[in-house]
Amino acid sequence: MIASRRLLTLLASLLLIGALAQQVQLERQVFDIGRKLRCPVCVSESVADSAAQIAVEMRDIIQQQLQEGRSEKEILAFFQERYGDWILLDPPKRGLHLLVWILPVVAAVAGAALLAVFVRRWLRSSGAALEVDEADLERVREALDRESP
Amino acid sequence: MRRLIVVLAVIAALGGLFAWGLLRGRPDRNISSNLIGKRVPDFEMPLHRRYWQEYGETFSLASYLGKPLVVNFWASWCTPCFREAPVLEALWKQYQDRVLFVGIQTQDRGKTAAGESFLERFSLSFPNGIDDNSRIGVEYGLFGVPETFFIRADGTLAYKQIGELTPQVLQQQLEALLR
Repeated sequence: MIASRRLLTLLASLLLIGALAQQVQLERQVFDIGRKLRCPVCVSESVADSAAQIAVEMRDIIQQQLQEGRSEKEILAFFQERYGDWILLDPPKRGLHLLVWILPVVAAVAGAALLAVFVRRWLRSSGAALEVDEADLERVREALDRESP
Repeated sequence: MRRLIVVLAVIAALGGLFAWGLLRGRPDRNISSNLIGKRVPDFEMPLHRRYWQEYGETFSLASYLGKPLVVNFWASWCTPCFREAPVLEALWKQYQDRVLFVGIQTQDRGKTAAGESFLERFSLSFPNGIDDNSRIGVEYGLFGVPETFFIRADGTLAYKQIGELTPQVLQQQLEALLR
């Protein structure tokens, strides 16, 4: 009798832990998707970070759609269909938006190339023999002789 | 000297870009609706009590298609909504035979009483309902309040006004709907 009661308690605890873990996982997914969406009434805030009422409602919609089995892609598409590309914090990789993705890479490559040119020039100039006047050399020799004991 | 000029030009260009960014306001709010030219989403919403006798307890968009519609989203805390409410009422009285106006209180959860006071204050006689969980707002891609959607008789969106309506814009868009 006691053994079966313990077993029941154990099973109930396991079920509870499972349900809690599922809820935590769901909340994490809602947060992850919310971070990719811009809050419509805020300035530079994502749906995940904002406390605005519409952001709260949008998080509810995300949760509801996840529970219905929709994928992240489908949920993002749902909001994109209503708000356009504006709603996505990461601009889509197409059309004019491509510039946002390509330009930093181009700038980084150009910067590295420029740096390489400067470093090469500097190395070349530091490695070259100095042209020194014979009179100056003589003056340095004399100074060294004076200072040596 | 030449190098100095180049450095100064780069600094001036960056400074100019920074100043432009600060002074340009919020152009990202002036976004055309993604629904323009498309069929607007259907919705049902509870109406404020004062309209029950004439329009019933629930408003369903589908039941009113066939006639151009002006759908105005507002909130009880929104100052521009206070300014545009008398404009809407005045033009509703002028156009009510040809166009249906509908008001939707949104982004205002649990503020039904404040909404009633708003309607009372401006004696709005066109139907106004409650979007308590802002779902209709999301369906319409609402950025804030006020926003007004001008819907053709076939249910497609003709124009969306972000922000306060002036009598001129409202009249112009109403005439465009009826053309």
